[in-house]
Amino acid sequence: MASRKIVAIEKKAYVSGPAAIVISLIIPGLGHILARKMGKGLLLMLSMITIIGLFLWRIKLLAHREIGFISQYVKAVDRKGFFIGFITIAIIILWFWIAKEAYQLTTKKSKGGFSIFAFVLLMFFIVGWQISEINLGRAIRELPEAWPPLSRILWPWEAAVTRATEELTASAEILVGTEDEGLPPIPPEVPGKPYIISTPNFGQLSSLDKQNNVIKGTVIHLKGKGFTADTITQIWWADSIGNEFRPRQDREYTSVLTDSRGEFTFDLVMPYRLIPPSAAGRQVHKVEAKQITEIGPFIPADPLRLTIALIIETIFMGMMATFFGIILSIPVSFLAARNIMNSSWITMTIYFITRTILNIIRSIEPLIWALIAVVWVGLGPFAGIVALTVHSVAALGKLYSEAIEGIDHGPIEALQATGANWLQVIMFAVVPQMIPPFVSFSIYRWDINVRMSTVIGLVGGGGIGFLLVQYIRLLDYKAAGIAVWFIALTVSILDYVSAEIRARFT
Amino acid sequence: MLEVKNLTKIYNDGTVALDDVSFTVKDNEFLVIIGLSGSGKSTLLRCINRLIDPTEGRIIWEGKDVTKVQGTQLRNLRRQVGMIFQHFNLVKRSSVILNVLSGRLGYVNPWKSLLYRFSSEDRAEGAAALEMVGIEDQANKRADELSGGQQQRVGIARALMQNPKMILADEPVASLDPVLAHTILGYLEKLNKERDITIICSLHYLDLVQRYATRIIGLRDGKIVWQGNNKDIRKMTDSQFKDIYGEEAERVNAGSLVGEEAEKWHREKL
Repeated sequence: MASRKIVAIEKKAYVSGPAAIVISLIIPGLGHILARKMGKGLLLMLSMITIIGLFLWRIKLLAHREIGFISQYVKAVDRKGFFIGFITIAIIILWFWIAKEAYQLTTKKSKGGFSIFAFVLLMFFIVGWQISEINLGRAIRELPEAWPPLSRILWPWEAAVTRATEELTASAEILVGTEDEGLPPIPPEVPGKPYIISTPNFGQLSSLDKQNNVIKGTVIHLKGKGFTADTITQIWWADSIGNEFRPRQDREYTSVLTDSRGEFTFDLVMPYRLIPPSAAGRQVHKVEAKQITEIGPFIPADPLRLTIALIIETIFMGMMATFFGIILSIPVSFLAARNIMNSSWITMTIYFITRTILNIIRSIEPLIWALIAVVWVGLGPFAGIVALTVHSVAALGKLYSEAIEGIDHGPIEALQATGANWLQVIMFAVVPQMIPPFVSFSIYRWDINVRMSTVIGLVGGGGIGFLLVQYIRLLDYKAAGIAVWFIALTVSILDYVSAEIRARFT
Repeated sequence: MLEVKNLTKIYNDGTVALDDVSFTVKDNEFLVIIGLSGSGKSTLLRCINRLIDPTEGRIIWEGKDVTKVQGTQLRNLRRQVGMIFQHFNLVKRSSVILNVLSGRLGYVNPWKSLLYRFSSEDRAEGAAALEMVGIEDQANKRADELSGGQQQRVGIARALMQNPKMILADEPVASLDPVLAHTILGYLEKLNKERDITIICSLHYLDLVQRYATRIIGLRDGKIVWQGNNKDIRKMTDSQFKDIYGEEAERVNAGSLVGEEAEKWHREKL
């Protein structure tokens, strides 16, 4: 070793020190190559080309409206001063650093260290930060706004249960228009039943002027009787075709608290409602007072019930896909095992073809397979199973074949020597050796498949992901939160179980 | 009687492992094959039970040409020839008793055996075989829980289950320390003497050869370069010794460790 090192140092550089500097300044890295540092020189040259290329591209993007490099550069500095400035200075420093190192290499003052690569790495990091549009400031700024939905996802359990409700409702008819059109009848008061009366029982709805400013409608005075005492009562509005909505006053939904006798009074500004021109004529709307009380035991709400049903579907999707994957990958794995297929060039060709196909299938993610499967068999869990099966066959085929390649040939030989037939040799010498990797890989795959089937629904492959993406699109973050919690729970339980089983078999 | 006639084996890559080897082994002999690693000892042993098909030549055993038989006949022949190996070749994850019983596979109903079922007679015989090699209490352990010496005893018990007329032993003690080597070879000697089983065994240490062999064959580069009995080995001249073990081998003390193997042994022990 020692003698070889001396020989390496004694090898002369192709050029002198000053020449190396000049050459390096013209083409960075070439000085290193001429100083017999081929690898480092090429790497530095490539880094330099890449950094400058990326830098120019970013400048163009930052100033795409400008023409000419100078004005583009000025514009880019204007927009991202720190980034452009830093990289410009860093490129200049690196340029001279490379030249200096090339000089030192040719005059053998130093062998050059790795700090230059640390510097190159730092430059790539800064460029990468720019390209990937990292914006930590925004992440922090937007946090308050993101917090409400986030908190609903983190603690969604209020939406998990529900109770039956009982409604106590009374309504009064309101004429939209003037008195002359004939007032709606005032229903008689029935003792023991809730009752509201409005004065007046006619008026104008709120409306919008040309500038979209709200012109307030008539204020009607509501008086209610016969409700449950000390309970929040919601005020609702129903238009002439029966569409109900809750008007807002001062940005809050209108509601009122009943007094100890079960009575209330409330002043309501008649709300804005667009009346289509075709509905011209007498317009009788309704004002309603509703008391909604929850009664009876808590029962699981729809999101919880659906989530549980779909989690079960998800686990079984993963299981079925694993099952089909195992069945199909066993024969494939023999075709992909070198020690089984090396007997002739025909079998070796099959081996290479199988390996190549498996590698291609495996390199395509299950989510993409699901997109294809959805086109093939339609939306739903079956598409997910098809996608996961395809991917499992490729993944398990490779793992199994490697397990087959790794078995100890000794016992096979020993069993052949006892006069055992081919099947007996397989059962007694091959199978016992295959069981641990087989069980371990299969369980591992099941674990992966369930994990994958939680997201495969995002593209229509069925399972919990399907539900999750729907809840998120409906902005129902609490329901989405329940789904997320169940996914986390299922995956971590499965992770633990699969690790335990695998630990026992190896 | 085993007759090997003009046996030649050339591997696909062109290696000549055996080159025109001829010898005979009488029933009840303890034949030891010596020679360097790569001299063809393993190939020779494996040709006898046809784990390797010879390229040319014939092997006649009990009047039958071993090189000609196929299929069931070959398996029937193999089941009468036990084999033990340097690395024991046990199925490590299976129990000791299952490893022993697998020696019986040539005799039992093949379909029943695929479910790992064995008759009670076979099981009793398996237990007896383990008792013979002194590890009957280890029967239900996994094979890889046993020490090297114990594993080789399982290997012997497995060979015994074949009711063999001949046992081929491919460097059976090369992975074991000298004390265990004597134990294992002691069992082989016992089988040889008490049950009239012919033993063909390859060995490295000349003191073991001298102690156990009734006859010795020296192989070098696939050719027989020396033949004799255990008395002849003491009279072996240095040039004969170098014929077997090569020019670089040094004979420290007749009948002790030689050449590479000696070096290896010392390296491992010191």
